[in-house]
Amino acid sequence: MASEPFEYTPQAADVFTQEVMARSGQNLTACYQCKRCASGCPVAEDTDMVTPNRLIRMVVLGDIENALTNKLTWKCLFCHTCGTRCPNNIKTGRIADTLKKMALDAGIDPQQPEYKNFHRAFFNYSLRWGRINEIGMMGEFQLRNMWDHLKKGNYVAILSEIMSKSTLAWKMFKQKRLHLSFHSSKGRDEISRLYKKSSGRKWI
Amino acid sequence: MDLAYYPGCSLYQSAKLYNHQIKLVLGMLDLKLKELEDWSCCGATSAGKINDFMAVALPARNIGIAESTGLSELVIPCSACYSRTMVAQKQLQDFPLLKNEINFELSKKTTGNIKVSSALDVLRREIKGSRFKSIPLQKLEGYSPACYYGCMNTRFPYDVPISDNVENPQAMETVLEATGVKAVDWNYKTLCCGASSVIYNPEGALDLMAKIMRDAVSRDADCFVVNCPMCQMNMESQQDNFCEKHDIKERLPVYFITELIGMAFGLSKEELQPGDDLFINGMDWTDLCGDSV
Ligand code: SF4
Ligand code: SF4
Repeated sequence: MASEPFEYTPQAADVFTQEVMARSGQNLTACYQCKRCASGCPVAEDTDMVTPNRLIRMVVLGDIENALTNKLTWKCLFCHTCGTRCPNNIKTGRIADTLKKMALDAGIDPQQPEYKNFHRAFFNYSLRWGRINEIGMMGEFQLRNMWDHLKKGNYVAILSEIMSKSTLAWKMFKQKRLHLSFHSSKGRDEISRLYKKSSGRKWI
Repeated sequence: MDLAYYPGCSLYQSAKLYNHQIKLVLGMLDLKLKELEDWSCCGATSAGKINDFMAVALPARNIGIAESTGLSELVIPCSACYSRTMVAQKQLQDFPLLKNEINFELSKKTTGNIKVSSALDVLRREIKGSRFKSIPLQKLEGYSPACYYGCMNTRFPYDVPISDNVENPQAMETVLEATGVKAVDWNYKTLCCGASSVIYNPEGALDLMAKIMRDAVSRDADCFVVNCPMCQMNMESQQDNFCEKHDIKERLPVYFITELIGMAFGLSKEELQPGDDLFINGMDWTDLCGDSV
Protein backbone atom coordinates (compact mmCIF):
# COMPACT_ATOMS: atom_id res chain seq x y z
CA MET A 1 0.00 0.00 0.00
CA ALA A 2 1.71 3.11 -1.22
CA SER A 3 0.33 5.93 0.80
CA GLU A 4 1.46 9.39 1.78
CA PRO A 5 2.36 9.82 5.42
CA PHE A 6 -0.56 11.43 7.14
CA GLU A 7 -0.68 13.58 10.18
CA TYR A 8 -2.14 11.92 13.24
CA THR A 9 -4.69 14.13 14.94
CA PRO A 10 -5.93 12.40 18.07
CA GLN A 11 -9.22 14.22 18.20
CA ALA A 12 -10.19 13.59 14.58
CA ALA A 13 -9.11 9.96 14.95
CA ASP A 14 -11.29 9.61 18.00
CA VAL A 15 -14.38 11.08 16.34
CA PHE A 16 -13.95 8.84 13.30
CA THR A 17 -13.31 5.72 15.38
CA GLN A 18 -16.37 6.39 17.54
CA GLU A 19 -18.57 6.71 14.48
CA VAL A 20 -17.26 3.50 12.93
CA MET A 21 -17.70 1.69 16.24
CA ALA A 22 -21.28 2.89 16.68
CA ARG A 23 -22.36 2.12 13.12
CA SER A 24 -20.63 -1.26 12.89
CA GLY A 25 -21.33 -2.37 16.44
CA GLN A 26 -17.70 -3.50 16.73
CA ASN A 27 -15.22 -2.69 19.46
CA LEU A 28 -12.24 -1.67 17.34
CA THR A 29 -10.12 -0.61 20.29
CA ALA A 30 -10.07 -4.22 21.54
CA CYS A 31 -7.89 -5.25 18.58
CA TYR A 32 -4.34 -6.22 19.64
CA GLN A 33 -3.09 -6.87 16.10
CA CYS A 34 -2.65 -10.64 16.44
CA LYS A 35 -3.57 -11.03 12.73
CA ARG A 36 -5.64 -14.16 13.02
CA CYS A 37 -8.20 -12.32 10.90
CA ALA A 38 -5.58 -11.58 8.25
CA SER A 39 -4.60 -15.17 7.66
CA GLY A 40 -8.14 -16.28 6.92
CA CYS A 41 -9.36 -13.41 4.79
CA PRO A 42 -10.11 -14.77 1.29
CA VAL A 43 -9.55 -11.47 -0.52
CA ALA A 44 -6.47 -10.24 1.35
CA GLU A 45 -4.11 -11.53 -1.35
CA ASP A 46 -5.48 -8.88 -3.58
CA THR A 47 -5.91 -5.79 -1.46
CA ASP A 48 -2.45 -4.20 -1.64
CA MET A 49 -1.58 -5.61 1.77
CA VAL A 50 -4.55 -4.11 3.54
CA THR A 51 -5.54 -7.00 5.80
CA PRO A 52 -8.45 -6.79 8.26
CA ASN A 53 -6.13 -5.91 11.16
CA ARG A 54 -4.55 -3.12 9.14
CA LEU A 55 -7.95 -1.77 8.25
CA ILE A 56 -8.72 -1.54 11.95
CA ARG A 57 -5.44 0.24 12.60
CA MET A 58 -6.22 2.71 9.80
CA VAL A 59 -9.53 3.59 11.38
CA VAL A 60 -8.17 3.89 14.89
CA LEU A 61 -5.38 6.16 13.69
CA GLY A 62 -7.88 8.33 11.86
CA ASP A 63 -6.47 7.70 8.38
CA ILE A 64 -9.90 8.49 7.01
CA GLU A 65 -9.09 8.79 3.35
CA ASN A 66 -7.36 5.42 3.16
CA ALA A 67 -10.00 3.79 5.33
CA LEU A 68 -12.69 4.80 2.84
CA THR A 69 -10.78 4.10 -0.37
CA ASN A 70 -8.52 1.08 0.25
CA LYS A 71 -9.17 -2.16 -1.60
CA LEU A 72 -10.19 -4.29 1.38
CA THR A 73 -13.03 -1.94 2.26
CA TRP A 74 -14.42 -2.44 -1.22
CA LYS A 75 -13.49 -6.07 -1.87
CA CYS A 76 -14.61 -7.48 1.48
CA LEU A 77 -17.15 -10.21 0.84
CA PHE A 78 -18.84 -10.08 4.24
CA CYS A 79 -17.83 -13.73 4.68
CA HIS A 80 -17.10 -13.34 8.42
CA THR A 81 -14.07 -15.57 8.52
CA CYS A 82 -12.21 -12.76 10.28
CA GLY A 83 -14.96 -12.39 12.87
CA THR A 84 -15.23 -16.05 13.79
CA ARG A 85 -11.46 -16.31 14.25
CA CYS A 86 -10.88 -13.10 16.15
CA PRO A 87 -10.12 -13.74 19.83
CA ASN A 88 -11.83 -10.44 20.59
CA ASN A 89 -14.88 -11.16 18.46
CA ILE A 90 -14.30 -8.21 16.16
CA LYS A 91 -16.23 -8.67 12.94
CA THR A 92 -14.16 -6.74 10.45
CA GLY A 93 -16.65 -7.55 7.72
CA ARG A 94 -19.10 -5.26 9.47
CA ILE A 95 -16.42 -2.58 9.75
CA ALA A 96 -15.74 -2.78 5.99
CA ASP A 97 -19.48 -2.64 5.35
CA THR A 98 -19.77 0.45 7.53
CA LEU A 99 -16.85 2.11 5.76
CA LYS A 100 -18.50 1.46 2.40
CA LYS A 101 -21.63 3.18 3.63
CA MET A 102 -19.63 6.09 5.01
CA ALA A 103 -17.77 6.39 1.71
CA LEU A 104 -21.02 6.45 -0.25
CA ASP A 105 -22.44 9.03 2.20
CA ALA A 106 -19.33 11.14 1.54
CA GLY A 107 -19.94 10.95 -2.21
CA ILE A 108 -16.99 8.65 -2.92
CA ASP A 109 -17.58 6.41 -5.93
CA PRO A 110 -17.52 2.69 -5.11
CA GLN A 111 -14.47 0.85 -6.47
CA GLN A 112 -16.74 -1.61 -8.19
CA PRO A 113 -19.24 0.72 -9.81
CA GLU A 114 -21.91 -1.95 -9.99
CA TYR A 115 -21.77 -2.68 -6.25
CA LYS A 116 -24.05 0.16 -5.33
CA ASN A 117 -26.43 -0.37 -8.21
CA PHE A 118 -26.81 -4.07 -7.48
CA HIS A 119 -27.70 -3.69 -3.82
CA ARG A 120 -29.87 -0.64 -4.55
CA ALA A 121 -31.77 -2.51 -7.23
CA PHE A 122 -32.25 -5.53 -4.97
CA PHE A 123 -33.32 -3.49 -1.96
CA ASN A 124 -35.66 -1.19 -3.89
CA TYR A 125 -37.22 -4.12 -5.66
CA SER A 126 -37.90 -5.90 -2.40
CA LEU A 127 -39.48 -2.74 -0.96
CA ARG A 128 -41.60 -2.18 -4.03
CA TRP A 129 -42.97 -5.68 -4.53
CA GLY A 130 -42.30 -7.37 -1.22
CA ARG A 131 -40.51 -10.17 -3.05
CA ILE A 132 -37.71 -10.46 -5.57
CA ASN A 133 -38.41 -11.42 -9.16
CA GLU A 134 -35.02 -12.07 -10.60
CA ILE A 135 -35.75 -10.77 -14.10
CA GLY A 136 -37.30 -7.57 -12.82
CA MET A 137 -34.57 -6.97 -10.27
CA MET A 138 -31.80 -7.57 -12.79
CA GLY A 139 -33.58 -5.24 -15.20
CA GLU A 140 -33.60 -2.48 -12.62
CA PHE A 141 -29.92 -3.16 -11.93
CA GLN A 142 -29.08 -2.89 -15.60
CA LEU A 143 -31.03 0.35 -16.01
CA ARG A 144 -29.14 1.85 -13.09
CA ASN A 145 -25.82 0.90 -14.67
CA MET A 146 -26.87 2.33 -18.01
CA TRP A 147 -28.05 5.56 -16.39
CA ASP A 148 -24.61 5.93 -14.79
CA HIS A 149 -22.91 5.42 -18.16
CA LEU A 150 -25.31 7.85 -19.80
CA LYS A 151 -24.51 10.57 -17.28
CA LYS A 152 -20.86 10.15 -18.21
CA GLY A 153 -21.66 10.05 -21.94
CA ASN A 154 -20.11 6.58 -22.13
CA TYR A 155 -22.07 4.96 -24.96
CA VAL A 156 -19.65 2.09 -25.51
CA ALA A 157 -20.24 1.02 -21.91
CA ILE A 158 -24.00 1.09 -22.47
CA LEU A 159 -23.64 -1.23 -25.41
CA SER A 160 -21.38 -3.65 -23.56
CA GLU A 161 -23.77 -3.55 -20.60
CA ILE A 162 -26.60 -4.70 -22.84
CA MET A 163 -24.45 -7.36 -24.48
CA SER A 164 -22.94 -8.84 -21.33
CA LYS A 165 -26.07 -8.85 -19.20
CA SER A 166 -28.22 -10.26 -21.95
CA THR A 167 -25.68 -13.04 -22.52
CA LEU A 168 -25.95 -13.88 -18.84
CA ALA A 169 -29.74 -13.76 -18.94
CA TRP A 170 -29.84 -15.92 -22.05
CA LYS A 171 -27.53 -18.46 -20.44
CA MET A 172 -29.72 -18.62 -17.36
CA PHE A 173 -32.78 -18.87 -19.52
CA LYS A 174 -31.33 -21.78 -21.48
CA GLN A 175 -30.45 -23.50 -18.23
CA LYS A 176 -34.08 -23.04 -17.20
CA ARG A 177 -33.02 -20.93 -14.26
CA LEU A 178 -34.86 -17.76 -15.24
CA HIS A 179 -38.53 -17.89 -14.49
CA LEU A 180 -41.08 -15.61 -16.02
CA SER A 181 -43.65 -16.02 -13.28
CA PHE A 182 -44.26 -12.96 -11.11
CA HIS A 183 -44.75 -13.04 -7.36
CA SER A 184 -45.20 -10.31 -4.78
CA SER A 185 -46.35 -9.83 -1.20
CA LYS A 186 -49.32 -7.87 0.10
CA GLY A 187 -47.19 -6.85 3.04
CA ARG A 188 -45.85 -3.99 0.93
CA ASP A 189 -47.82 -1.41 2.92
CA GLU A 190 -46.33 -2.51 6.21
CA ILE A 191 -42.93 -2.59 4.60
CA SER A 192 -43.20 0.91 3.20
CA ARG A 193 -44.33 2.26 6.61
CA LEU A 194 -41.27 0.63 8.17
CA TYR A 195 -39.11 2.12 5.46
CA LYS A 196 -40.43 5.61 6.19
CA LYS A 197 -39.55 5.08 9.81
CA SER A 198 -36.01 4.17 8.88
CA SER A 199 -35.28 7.42 7.09
CA GLY A 200 -32.33 9.31 8.47
CA ARG A 201 -31.24 6.44 10.74
CA LYS A 202 -27.57 5.66 10.45
CA TRP A 203 -27.73 2.38 12.35
CA ILE A 204 -30.36 0.11 13.85
CA MET B 1 -45.60 -32.81 12.59
CA ASP B 2 -46.28 -29.36 11.17
CA LEU B 3 -43.49 -26.85 10.75
CA ALA B 4 -43.74 -23.20 9.71
CA TYR B 5 -41.96 -22.75 6.40
CA TYR B 6 -40.28 -19.73 4.81
CA PRO B 7 -39.19 -20.54 1.24
CA GLY B 8 -37.83 -17.08 0.32
CA CYS B 9 -37.52 -15.54 -3.13
CA SER B 10 -34.83 -17.84 -4.58
CA LEU B 11 -36.86 -20.93 -3.89
CA TYR B 12 -39.71 -19.42 -5.88
CA GLN B 13 -37.44 -18.70 -8.84
CA SER B 14 -33.92 -19.82 -9.68
CA ALA B 15 -33.88 -22.48 -6.93
CA LYS B 16 -37.42 -23.72 -7.48
CA LEU B 17 -36.05 -27.23 -7.59
CA TYR B 18 -34.82 -26.96 -4.01
CA ASN B 19 -38.26 -25.87 -2.81
CA HIS B 20 -39.82 -28.84 -4.53
CA GLN B 21 -37.30 -31.34 -3.17
CA ILE B 22 -37.31 -30.06 0.40
CA LYS B 23 -41.05 -30.55 0.57
CA LEU B 24 -40.78 -34.05 -0.85
CA VAL B 25 -37.96 -35.20 1.38
CA LEU B 26 -39.29 -33.71 4.61
CA GLY B 27 -42.72 -35.00 3.64
CA MET B 28 -41.34 -38.53 3.62
CA LEU B 29 -40.16 -37.88 7.16
CA ASP B 30 -43.76 -37.00 8.10
CA LEU B 31 -42.99 -33.31 8.39
CA LYS B 32 -45.54 -31.00 6.82
CA LEU B 33 -44.27 -27.61 5.78
CA LYS B 34 -46.83 -24.84 6.31
CA GLU B 35 -45.75 -21.99 4.11
CA LEU B 36 -46.03 -18.59 5.81
CA GLU B 37 -48.98 -16.65 4.50
CA ASP B 38 -47.93 -13.63 2.46
CA TRP B 39 -44.27 -13.88 3.44
CA SER B 40 -41.99 -11.15 2.11
CA CYS B 41 -38.35 -10.88 1.06
CA CYS B 42 -35.83 -11.02 3.92
CA GLY B 43 -33.69 -8.33 2.27
CA ALA B 44 -30.82 -10.81 1.86
CA THR B 45 -27.41 -9.18 2.13
CA SER B 46 -28.53 -6.16 0.12
CA ALA B 47 -30.82 -4.52 2.68
CA GLY B 48 -28.00 -4.24 5.21
CA LYS B 49 -25.74 -2.58 2.64
CA ILE B 50 -28.16 0.31 2.44
CA ASN B 51 -30.38 0.42 5.48
CA ASP B 52 -29.55 -1.30 8.77
CA PHE B 53 -33.01 -0.80 10.19
CA MET B 54 -34.73 -2.52 7.27
CA ALA B 55 -32.23 -5.38 7.47
CA VAL B 56 -33.93 -6.24 10.78
CA ALA B 57 -37.44 -5.07 9.95
CA LEU B 58 -37.83 -7.19 6.79
CA PRO B 59 -37.15 -10.55 8.47
CA ALA B 60 -39.06 -9.37 11.57
CA ARG B 61 -42.27 -9.27 9.54
CA ASN B 62 -41.80 -12.92 8.56
CA ILE B 63 -40.93 -13.95 12.10
CA GLY B 64 -44.16 -12.27 13.26
CA ILE B 65 -46.17 -14.22 10.68
CA ALA B 66 -44.44 -17.44 11.72
CA GLU B 67 -45.22 -16.86 15.39
CA SER B 68 -48.87 -16.14 14.59
CA THR B 69 -49.24 -19.67 13.24
CA GLY B 70 -48.73 -21.05 16.73
CA LEU B 71 -46.21 -23.56 15.39
CA SER B 72 -43.05 -24.03 17.40
CA GLU B 73 -40.44 -24.06 14.68
CA LEU B 74 -39.71 -22.06 11.53
CA VAL B 75 -37.75 -23.88 8.81
CA ILE B 76 -35.73 -21.92 6.26
CA PRO B 77 -33.85 -23.83 3.52
CA CYS B 78 -31.98 -20.92 1.91
CA SER B 79 -28.77 -20.11 3.79
CA ALA B 80 -29.04 -16.38 3.11
CA CYS B 81 -32.62 -16.16 4.39
CA TYR B 82 -31.67 -18.35 7.34
CA SER B 83 -28.73 -16.14 8.25
CA ARG B 84 -30.72 -12.92 7.92
CA THR B 85 -33.59 -14.28 9.98
CA MET B 86 -31.34 -15.66 12.72
CA VAL B 87 -29.51 -12.34 13.00
CA ALA B 88 -32.68 -10.24 12.97
CA GLN B 89 -34.28 -12.45 15.59
CA LYS B 90 -31.32 -12.10 17.95
CA GLN B 91 -31.23 -8.35 17.41
CA LEU B 92 -34.95 -8.12 18.20
CA GLN B 93 -34.25 -9.96 21.44
CA ASP B 94 -31.24 -7.82 22.29
CA PHE B 95 -32.83 -4.45 21.47
CA PRO B 96 -36.36 -4.30 22.91
CA LEU B 97 -36.86 -0.70 21.82
CA LEU B 98 -36.09 -1.61 18.25
CA LYS B 99 -38.52 -4.49 18.51
CA ASN B 100 -41.28 -2.16 19.72
CA GLU B 101 -40.64 0.28 16.93
CA ILE B 102 -40.87 -2.46 14.34
CA ASN B 103 -43.86 -4.16 15.95
CA PHE B 104 -45.76 -0.89 15.88
CA GLU B 105 -46.06 -1.18 12.10
CA LEU B 106 -46.61 -4.93 11.89
CA SER B 107 -50.04 -6.51 11.76
CA LYS B 108 -48.53 -9.73 13.12
CA LYS B 109 -46.29 -8.70 16.00
CA THR B 110 -43.15 -10.59 16.81
CA THR B 111 -41.87 -11.64 20.21
CA GLY B 112 -38.67 -12.86 18.58
CA ASN B 113 -38.91 -16.25 20.25
CA ILE B 114 -39.83 -18.89 17.66
CA LYS B 115 -37.17 -21.52 17.04
CA VAL B 116 -35.52 -20.91 13.66
CA SER B 117 -33.86 -23.86 11.91
CA SER B 118 -32.26 -24.42 8.57
CA ALA B 119 -33.61 -27.33 6.55
CA LEU B 120 -30.24 -28.95 7.11
CA ASP B 121 -30.64 -28.68 10.90
CA VAL B 122 -33.98 -30.44 10.57
CA LEU B 123 -32.56 -33.21 8.40
CA ARG B 124 -29.69 -33.84 10.79
CA ARG B 125 -32.12 -34.12 13.66
CA GLU B 126 -34.57 -36.36 11.81
CA ILE B 127 -32.04 -39.00 10.81
CA LYS B 128 -32.00 -40.00 14.45
CA GLY B 129 -35.77 -40.48 14.47
CA SER B 130 -37.84 -43.61 14.03
CA ARG B 131 -39.53 -42.36 10.86
CA PHE B 132 -36.17 -42.11 9.11
CA LYS B 133 -35.19 -45.58 10.28
CA SER B 134 -38.36 -47.04 8.82
CA ILE B 135 -37.63 -45.81 5.29
CA PRO B 136 -35.99 -48.50 3.17
CA LEU B 137 -32.86 -46.91 1.74
CA GLN B 138 -31.68 -47.37 -1.82
CA LYS B 139 -27.99 -47.95 -2.07
CA LEU B 140 -26.35 -45.07 -3.93
CA GLU B 141 -23.15 -46.47 -5.25
CA GLY B 142 -20.04 -45.12 -6.71
CA TYR B 143 -19.64 -41.50 -5.95
CA SER B 144 -18.02 -39.28 -3.39
CA PRO B 145 -19.48 -35.85 -2.86
CA ALA B 146 -17.64 -32.84 -1.48
CA CYS B 147 -20.05 -31.15 0.93
CA TYR B 148 -19.75 -27.44 0.37
CA TYR B 149 -21.20 -25.13 3.06
CA GLY B 150 -19.96 -21.69 2.08
CA CYS B 151 -20.28 -18.87 4.60
CA MET B 152 -23.80 -18.64 5.79
CA ASN B 153 -24.35 -21.90 7.61
CA THR B 154 -21.88 -21.18 10.37
CA ARG B 155 -20.61 -17.60 10.16
CA PHE B 156 -22.86 -14.69 11.00
CA PRO B 157 -22.48 -10.92 11.17
CA TYR B 158 -23.89 -10.98 14.70
CA ASP B 159 -23.54 -13.41 17.62
CA VAL B 160 -26.27 -16.02 17.22
CA PRO B 161 -26.38 -19.67 18.33
CA ILE B 162 -24.51 -21.74 15.74
CA SER B 163 -25.77 -25.21 15.02
CA ASP B 164 -22.58 -26.80 13.66
CA ASN B 165 -18.82 -26.65 13.93
CA VAL B 166 -17.78 -23.26 12.56
CA GLU B 167 -14.59 -24.32 10.75
CA ASN B 168 -15.45 -27.90 9.96
CA PRO B 169 -19.22 -28.29 9.75
CA GLN B 170 -20.46 -31.87 9.56
CA ALA B 171 -24.23 -31.70 9.10
CA MET B 172 -24.26 -32.68 5.43
CA GLU B 173 -21.65 -35.41 5.91
CA THR B 174 -23.66 -36.81 8.82
CA VAL B 175 -26.92 -36.83 6.89
CA LEU B 176 -25.30 -38.39 3.83
CA GLU B 177 -23.56 -41.01 5.93
CA ALA B 178 -26.89 -42.02 7.43
CA THR B 179 -28.11 -42.66 3.89
CA GLY B 180 -25.02 -44.70 3.09
CA VAL B 181 -22.91 -42.13 1.24
CA LYS B 182 -19.39 -41.32 2.34
CA ALA B 183 -18.40 -37.74 1.58
CA VAL B 184 -14.77 -36.76 1.01
CA ASP B 185 -12.76 -34.91 3.59
CA TRP B 186 -11.53 -31.61 2.19
CA ASN B 187 -10.27 -28.14 3.01
CA TYR B 188 -12.43 -25.58 1.29
CA LYS B 189 -15.88 -26.45 2.51
CA THR B 190 -16.41 -23.07 4.15
CA LEU B 191 -14.51 -20.80 1.77
CA CYS B 192 -16.69 -18.02 0.37
CA CYS B 193 -17.76 -18.50 -3.28
CA GLY B 194 -17.94 -14.75 -3.78
CA ALA B 195 -21.74 -14.70 -3.55
CA SER B 196 -23.24 -11.68 -5.33
CA SER B 197 -19.81 -10.17 -5.98
CA VAL B 198 -19.80 -12.41 -9.05
CA ILE B 199 -21.88 -9.62 -10.56
CA TYR B 200 -19.78 -6.61 -9.58
CA ASN B 201 -16.32 -8.16 -9.09
CA PRO B 202 -16.41 -11.28 -11.27
CA GLU B 203 -12.66 -11.88 -11.48
CA GLY B 204 -12.27 -12.07 -7.71
CA ALA B 205 -15.23 -14.40 -7.36
CA LEU B 206 -14.00 -16.71 -10.13
CA ASP B 207 -10.61 -17.03 -8.42
CA LEU B 208 -12.27 -18.10 -5.17
CA MET B 209 -14.50 -20.64 -6.87
CA ALA B 210 -11.50 -22.09 -8.69
CA LYS B 211 -9.79 -22.72 -5.35
CA ILE B 212 -12.85 -24.55 -4.10
CA MET B 213 -13.05 -26.59 -7.29
CA ARG B 214 -9.36 -27.45 -7.35
CA ASP B 215 -9.39 -28.83 -3.82
CA ALA B 216 -12.56 -30.85 -4.40
CA VAL B 217 -11.04 -32.36 -7.55
CA SER B 218 -7.75 -33.14 -5.85
CA ARG B 219 -9.67 -35.07 -3.17
CA ASP B 220 -11.32 -37.14 -5.91
CA ALA B 221 -14.75 -35.75 -5.25
CA ASP B 222 -17.11 -36.41 -8.12
CA CYS B 223 -19.81 -33.91 -7.28
CA PHE B 224 -20.59 -31.05 -4.92
CA VAL B 225 -23.43 -31.22 -2.47
CA VAL B 226 -24.74 -27.88 -1.20
CA ASN B 227 -27.62 -26.43 0.77
CA CYS B 228 -27.35 -22.79 -0.34
CA PRO B 229 -29.08 -21.59 -3.54
CA MET B 230 -26.46 -18.88 -4.05
CA CYS B 231 -23.54 -21.34 -3.78
CA GLN B 232 -25.38 -23.75 -6.05
CA MET B 233 -26.00 -21.11 -8.68
CA ASN B 234 -22.45 -19.76 -8.58
CA MET B 235 -20.64 -23.08 -8.57
CA GLU B 236 -22.81 -24.41 -11.37
CA SER B 237 -23.40 -21.49 -13.71
CA GLN B 238 -19.86 -20.11 -13.41
CA GLN B 239 -18.09 -23.46 -13.56
CA ASP B 240 -16.96 -23.23 -17.18
CA ASN B 241 -15.74 -19.70 -16.59
CA PHE B 242 -13.64 -20.35 -13.50
CA CYS B 243 -12.31 -23.65 -14.80
CA GLU B 244 -11.24 -22.14 -18.10
CA LYS B 245 -9.65 -19.20 -16.34
CA HIS B 246 -7.65 -21.50 -14.07
CA ASP B 247 -6.97 -24.37 -16.43
CA ILE B 248 -9.06 -26.94 -14.66
CA LYS B 249 -10.17 -29.74 -16.96
CA GLU B 250 -12.64 -31.49 -14.67
CA ARG B 251 -16.28 -30.50 -14.26
CA LEU B 252 -18.43 -31.47 -11.28
CA PRO B 253 -22.22 -31.36 -10.96
CA VAL B 254 -23.56 -29.33 -8.02
CA TYR B 255 -26.50 -30.98 -6.27
CA PHE B 256 -28.74 -29.78 -3.55
CA ILE B 257 -28.48 -32.14 -0.60
CA THR B 258 -32.14 -33.02 -1.10
CA GLU B 259 -31.34 -34.55 -4.47
CA LEU B 260 -29.15 -37.29 -2.97
CA ILE B 261 -31.36 -37.85 0.06
CA GLY B 262 -34.39 -38.08 -2.22
CA MET B 263 -32.68 -40.68 -4.35
CA ALA B 264 -31.65 -42.67 -1.30
CA PHE B 265 -35.27 -42.54 -0.18
CA GLY B 266 -36.19 -44.22 -3.42
CA LEU B 267 -37.84 -41.22 -5.08
CA SER B 268 -37.72 -41.42 -8.85
CA LYS B 269 -36.13 -38.97 -11.21
CA GLU B 270 -39.59 -37.84 -12.29
CA GLU B 271 -40.56 -37.14 -8.72
CA LEU B 272 -37.37 -35.28 -7.86
CA GLN B 273 -37.08 -33.37 -11.12
CA PRO B 274 -40.53 -33.15 -12.64
CA GLY B 275 -40.28 -31.51 -16.00
CA ASP B 276 -37.99 -29.06 -17.62
CA ASP B 277 -39.00 -26.27 -15.37
CA LEU B 278 -36.93 -27.62 -12.52
CA PHE B 279 -33.96 -28.92 -14.40
CA ILE B 280 -30.48 -28.47 -13.04
CA ASN B 281 -27.90 -28.19 -15.74
CA GLY B 282 -25.10 -30.72 -15.69
CA MET B 283 -27.19 -33.37 -14.04
CA ASP B 284 -26.36 -36.72 -15.53
CA TRP B 285 -28.75 -39.02 -13.85
CA THR B 286 -27.36 -42.26 -15.25
CA ASP B 287 -23.90 -41.34 -14.04
CA LEU B 288 -25.13 -41.06 -10.53
CA CYS B 289 -27.30 -44.10 -10.26
CA GLY B 290 -25.23 -46.47 -12.32
CA ASP B 291 -27.41 -49.08 -13.94
CA SER B 292 -30.35 -48.73 -11.64
CA VAL B 293 -32.10 -46.16 -13.83
S1 SF4 C 1 -8.01 -11.28 14.92
FE1 SF4 C 1 -9.06 -9.66 16.07
S2 SF4 C 1 -7.58 -8.95 17.62
FE2 SF4 C 1 -6.44 -10.17 16.09
S3 SF4 C 1 -5.68 -8.63 14.63
FE3 SF4 C 1 -7.65 -9.38 13.83
S4 SF4 C 1 -9.19 -7.96 14.62
FE4 SF4 C 1 -7.32 -7.65 15.82
S1 SF4 D 1 -15.50 -10.53 6.14
FE1 SF4 D 1 -14.25 -9.31 4.72
S2 SF4 D 1 -12.43 -8.77 5.88
FE2 SF4 D 1 -13.40 -10.48 6.94
S3 SF4 D 1 -12.40 -12.31 6.17
FE3 SF4 D 1 -14.26 -11.99 4.93
S4 SF4 D 1 -13.57 -10.77 3.16
FE4 SF4 D 1 -11.93 -10.64 4.73
